[in-house]
Amino acid sequence: MAETKKDQTSTHKIGIYLWIWGLLFVLSFFSYMVDWYNFQGLLRWSLILFFMFLKAGLIMAFFMHLFWERYALVNVLLWPMTAIACFVGLMVAEGKYTVFSRLFYFFVGGA
Amino acid sequence: MSDELNINKKRKNQIKTKSSAASGRGETDIDYVRPAELPEQDLYHGHSFITKWIFCQDAKVIGVQYTLTAVFTGVVGLILSWMMRMQLGYPDLFPFLTAETYYQMVTMHGMIMVVYLLTALFLGGFGNYLIPLMVGARDMVFPYVNMISFWMFFVAVVVLMASFFVPGGPTGSGWTLYPPQAILEGTPGSGYGILLMLISLSLFVIGFTMGGLNYVITILQARTRGMSLMRMPLTIWGIFTATVLALLAFPALLVSSIMMTLDKVLETSFFMPTIIKAGEALSYDGGSPILFQHLFWFFGHPEVYIVALPAFGIVSDLISVHSRKNIFGYRMMVWAIVGIGALSFFVWAHHMYVSGMSPWFGFFFATTTLIIAVPTALKVYNWILTLWRGNIRINTVMLFCLGFIVTFVNGGITGIFLGNVAVDVPLSDTYFVIAHFHMVMGIAPLMVIFGAIYHWFPLVTGRFLDEKLGKLHFWITFLGAYSIYFPMHYLGFIGVPRRYFEMYDSPYMTSAVGMNEFISLAAFIVGAAQFIFFYNLVKSLRLGKPAGKNPWKANSLEWLTPDVPPTHGNWGEKLPVVHRWAYDYGVPGAKEDYIPQTTAPSEVKDAEVEKT
Amino acid sequence: MSDLNLDKLPGGFKGMSEDIGSDQTTFKGVNWGKAMMWIFLLSDTFVFSCFLVAYMKVRASVVEPWPYPSEVFALEMFGVPVPLLLIAIMTFVLITSSGTMALAVKYGYEKNRKMCGWFVLLTAIGGLTFVGMQAFEWSKLIFHDGVRPWGNPFGAEQFGAFFFMITGFHGTHVSIGVIFLFIFARKVFRGDFDTGRRGYFTTMKSDYVAIEILGLYWHFVDLVWVFIFAFFYLW
Repeated sequence: MAETKKDQTSTHKIGIYLWIWGLLFVLSFFSYMVDWYNFQGLLRWSLILFFMFLKAGLIMAFFMHLFWERYALVNVLLWPMTAIACFVGLMVAEGKYTVFSRLFYFFVGGA
Repeated sequence: MSDELNINKKRKNQIKTKSSAASGRGETDIDYVRPAELPEQDLYHGHSFITKWIFCQDAKVIGVQYTLTAVFTGVVGLILSWMMRMQLGYPDLFPFLTAETYYQMVTMHGMIMVVYLLTALFLGGFGNYLIPLMVGARDMVFPYVNMISFWMFFVAVVVLMASFFVPGGPTGSGWTLYPPQAILEGTPGSGYGILLMLISLSLFVIGFTMGGLNYVITILQARTRGMSLMRMPLTIWGIFTATVLALLAFPALLVSSIMMTLDKVLETSFFMPTIIKAGEALSYDGGSPILFQHLFWFFGHPEVYIVALPAFGIVSDLISVHSRKNIFGYRMMVWAIVGIGALSFFVWAHHMYVSGMSPWFGFFFATTTLIIAVPTALKVYNWILTLWRGNIRINTVMLFCLGFIVTFVNGGITGIFLGNVAVDVPLSDTYFVIAHFHMVMGIAPLMVIFGAIYHWFPLVTGRFLDEKLGKLHFWITFLGAYSIYFPMHYLGFIGVPRRYFEMYDSPYMTSAVGMNEFISLAAFIVGAAQFIFFYNLVKSLRLGKPAGKNPWKANSLEWLTPDVPPTHGNWGEKLPVVHRWAYDYGVPGAKEDYIPQTTAPSEVKDAEVEKT
Repeated sequence: MSDLNLDKLPGGFKGMSEDIGSDQTTFKGVNWGKAMMWIFLLSDTFVFSCFLVAYMKVRASVVEPWPYPSEVFALEMFGVPVPLLLIAIMTFVLITSSGTMALAVKYGYEKNRKMCGWFVLLTAIGGLTFVGMQAFEWSKLIFHDGVRPWGNPFGAEQFGAFFFMITGFHGTHVSIGVIFLFIFARKVFRGDFDTGRRGYFTTMKSDYVAIEILGLYWHFVDLVWVFIFAFFYLW
């Protein structure tokens, strides 16, 4: 197996893991609170997404050590997400169009 | 790259110090290559027949296993296409060809050729054999996983073939497997057939993922000393990019297979809308058939390039070797491969212009589709410019390469027609589409496969394939394939729809009858010509002319192994050290017309090599 | 063996261009297995993304009302329905196990056999708890609420289908992870990673980096849960 002469895996202080751990609990609690207080509409969406991405980012950056990895690996992992973003965006539009055409042709009637 | 620059700077400084100090120490320094970062790979050497040849961990054996299995499925696909042509050329002549069997053949032919032949052959076959050799590794990084990968593929093929023998036969829903019809009664093979197809595809994806991770990591992390990414042969670039595409695109196929299996088995309604059958509503309700099309083509379009990119890469190498010239615009070629790969994730819905998706998508996808033509065209120009004033050897390999360029340009240009929404709408689902994709991703990659087999057969077996039979094979295949697909463009223009079992008394018949017969005859001949090739393979295995070391005088590492054919571990005692790219052919001032990648700069001081 | 010293290499984008331009390895100092796990996870990300995209597309286009997850997943506590209580606990358990895994990886780096082994075992137990609670959640939905993949009493029938498919796929990942965690806990305690004992199937030498690779997988499972939690339960 590949291993370099110097042990590359520098260890980190235990504190950072505990901090991130605590933060994840707090963020999960906040996103739970979004449901508890029954926020609706745009506020709900943006809060959910905000907490979600923050949590995902923390897990990736610190628990999965991406923060300490070299940029070659980080970039290889993150750029393909643009394809997913494109897919998501287009499917949002497609979902809206499908429901529009369903309702339109059912109630209004088409050709 | 700046690493390179540093080395170059270092070199210059050393030369300076050398001239000032007038000592001979600089000699070793211009050959400087960074020392190894990694220790030697730990390999498992099989001892028994089973561990050496069947459950083998040697990537070369796995590559051959992949190739043989893929070629076997390819022969099945070929026979299916013969039967389809029998029906189309001579309707009603063969009573055993019913509409149901015809659709089943269409489906199995498509799926077999695209996934189980081309993908498996290029990535599993050529990838396994060539990657470790060409990047200078002893083997794939995870030989055990690699072995499992082949056996998963083997099981997938067995499951696929089993669907010929289940009640109801294989699925007849077209290779795109569109729901709702794929799993509704009335479509042939909507019972066991479609289930086995979906299971087989899932197994293929899982098996391929294991292999694909190996290919990617071997290329990224296990190159030999001096082998930078920009010194890799284009074959490796093509296979690498295609594998990355496969790793990111196959998930969509896996997901759609799982969802359709659930629709079939548990009667969920992912893809199934409300359907009224004979006045009664089925249990399905509210699903989205178009979602399947999006998922399928999110896989399907990258899949086209999974087949095409390795072909691009391999043909670049073959052309360069056999015209004794460096590949024109190597870096441009690399960026074109990478660019095509990246763009291929943003063009999928050009397969769906007439599907009833959101009409606004047409603009987006037509634009991205036409953009992808730019790097593709660059590649074609570069192949032609590589040939230009080269010292061309007209042998079977070169003939197949030239055949590739012609068929690929032909298919590519019709692709530009189809990429435009307004032109696509009247042409879609006609024989024009059949002609387009058979030219561009059927015949063209096959030309490369044949060329590659004629090229690398001496490496794998130590013997040449027979040239005379090879040329015969080429001319029949090339001219025959043209006579099959060129008339199909015309059929498409007059509006003959694809996937129709027969035309009955439609007005197309009068002008299409003779042409269909002609196409069928050509198809029989071309199919039969492939058996010349198989005969050639078997015959040359024993009786072929011994090839010896590096018979084509090529530069890339696979020809420079101590043993021919290479043994397990590839390199004997010491790994090779790479000093240059794989394309130093016909260099002015060099003694020979080729400089292998392992040749140190000090050995060819007078040659005017490019800095790579 | 090597003159590679990561601390001496430039970082940032300059380092990236040098890494990509260099020979031998592109990801400097990254073990083969770790690189493979990362690329596998990238591929797996696409799997889960496709599931979630499909869910989003179908949910956006059904005409029937989508069941309100807050009520469907409520749990009765002392006669009061508490929304998403079980889900909150499951999230808590999974994040806890992620934290213990992070510590296991840390002790793995330090080649601290005892601590590493205990934390791997703890993670495995956390994962097992999660799977158990998921089984409870499923059985409650199936037997108590009458939710089926092909229909449910609350609204659009795709609700049950997507719920069982996506959480089922995630649960499968967790279960596979738990099995490997137990196996690796045994390996750590047996000292495989200190002696470099060869694997039974792969005949490869064992190394503590395996714990890091397993950790990557486990954190990924947690990561996917973050997305499922947001999109399926809160949306």
